Amino acid sequence: MDREQIKKDRLRYTNNKASANLTYLAIVFDVLFFVSIYRSNVNTYYYNIKIGVSVLLNLVFLLVVFLCSEGVKTYKINYAYTLLGVGVLQLVRIMGYPMTAHNAITKVNASEVPVMGNAQFFWTVFFLVASAVCCFVAGAIGIHKTRVLETYKKQHGYV
Amino acid sequence: MASLRLQNLNKIYDNNVQAVFDFNMDIEDGEFIVLVGPSGCGKSTTLRMIAGLEDISSGTLLIDGEDVTQKPPKDRDIAMVFQNYALYAHMTIYENMAFSLTLRHEDPNVIHEKVLAAAEILGLTDQLNKKPRQLSGGQRQRVAMGRAIVRTPKVFLFDEPLSNLDAKLRGATRREILLLHKRLGATMIYVTHDQTEALTLADRIVCMSMGYVQQIGTPLELYDTPANLFVASFIGLPPMNFFDCTVKDGVLTGDGFTVVLTDEEKKLLAGHEGKVITLGVRPENIVHGNGIKLSVNLNENLGQTTLVHGTIGGHKATAKFREWAEYKPGDVVEVAFERKHFFDKETTNAIR
Repeated sequence: MDREQIKKDRLRYTNNKASANLTYLAIVFDVLFFVSIYRSNVNTYYYNIKIGVSVLLNLVFLLVVFLCSEGVKTYKINYAYTLLGVGVLQLVRIMGYPMTAHNAITKVNASEVPVMGNAQFFWTVFFLVASAVCCFVAGAIGIHKTRVLETYKKQHGYV
Repeated sequence: MASLRLQNLNKIYDNNVQAVFDFNMDIEDGEFIVLVGPSGCGKSTTLRMIAGLEDISSGTLLIDGEDVTQKPPKDRDIAMVFQNYALYAHMTIYENMAFSLTLRHEDPNVIHEKVLAAAEILGLTDQLNKKPRQLSGGQRQRVAMGRAIVRTPKVFLFDEPLSNLDAKLRGATRREILLLHKRLGATMIYVTHDQTEALTLADRIVCMSMGYVQQIGTPLELYDTPANLFVASFIGLPPMNFFDCTVKDGVLTGDGFTVVLTDEEKKLLAGHEGKVITLGVRPENIVHGNGIKLSVNLNENLGQTTLVHGTIGGHKATAKFREWAEYKPGDVVEVAFERKHFFDKETTNAIR
């Protein structure tokens, strides 16, 4: 076997750790986004139904991405596609709290202040984008490796 | 592969208990050495000293002429297979076998080739994606051996690797180890308390007791010409029968029997005229004959052979007849001693 063949053959016995680790990183960025979104001195701005949806969305994200990490680890292509979808969803979420909170004004001690300042906005968007990028890359690697493995298996009659 | 020289190895623990006394041995390249002896005789301690898992209190260990006495285990290029397999439960078989090489940051492609080659040798290719818990005991032990093989070490050490397996699997795995040795041609040192393993596997056996080497030799030498009473009683199943006898005028007189010595035996025992010696006779060397009466206590049929336990004079004795026999307790069988071993009563050494 030449090096290229060996590299492909290795996929039969090794997990897709690159994708799995990237999805873990996506989870970390999402958690950082979620803990950095709220401030304590913005009165009752967050006290509405949207926060419930936001929390639920976040829990679903954590669950789905964790499942995907296990899936892509063992070269299941559907999970890789799911990760691409989740990445898009993370980008769409920028339109949610980071953007709306950044544009909203609230009163604190009789003075008007933005709910989310520029720095906070930057970091929340950064975390969401980082999380999305991790999902995209993990998904792309997963799709590529799975296709390589499946082709190799078919060629050598391992399926 | 490598040769080893063990020079005056001693092991004294912190509580001043000495486990190994002056172990001396030269091991040739590609030899299969088995250390055998009862529990607590120092065989595992010796193996662990070779591996570097125990400090050597005094003495020198040379591997390929290089003094490794003070070297840590990782620098000795030795692989050890343990009784309890020591596999990582959360890793697949492939990962378990590749682990030591991964730690050394070897090229993953090289690791892959080595693991596949070892798996092929051991018949584990179909099991590589499984976890250890999904394998049988014998397969797990093969994985442990595979982990050693991929490293291509200078010396393989086995510490009672078959003790956790049932009798059938033990026999099969024993044969696999033997084939593995023939295939790899590697220097292997194997510790066991099972004499069957020792006799079937070894190029040379080291028989130990109480920390001392009792005899080093080929399996046939240990079986046929044991150096002392301990080796004679330890090697052979069922063990050798022993009788106290007096040598006088070419006749050996024991409790309840007399044996006329051959000319060769007379020469051998010339220096023990009038003295009490120990006569050893293996059960398979007690045959049907005239002159010695064996009172039967118990009859055990083993298919091709029959073990007859009883007494000759005041001594317990076991005979192994190459036939299906059905003696009853109280029966008296006339027997003769086909081949005899003589031991000095005081020193317990063989008389040669």
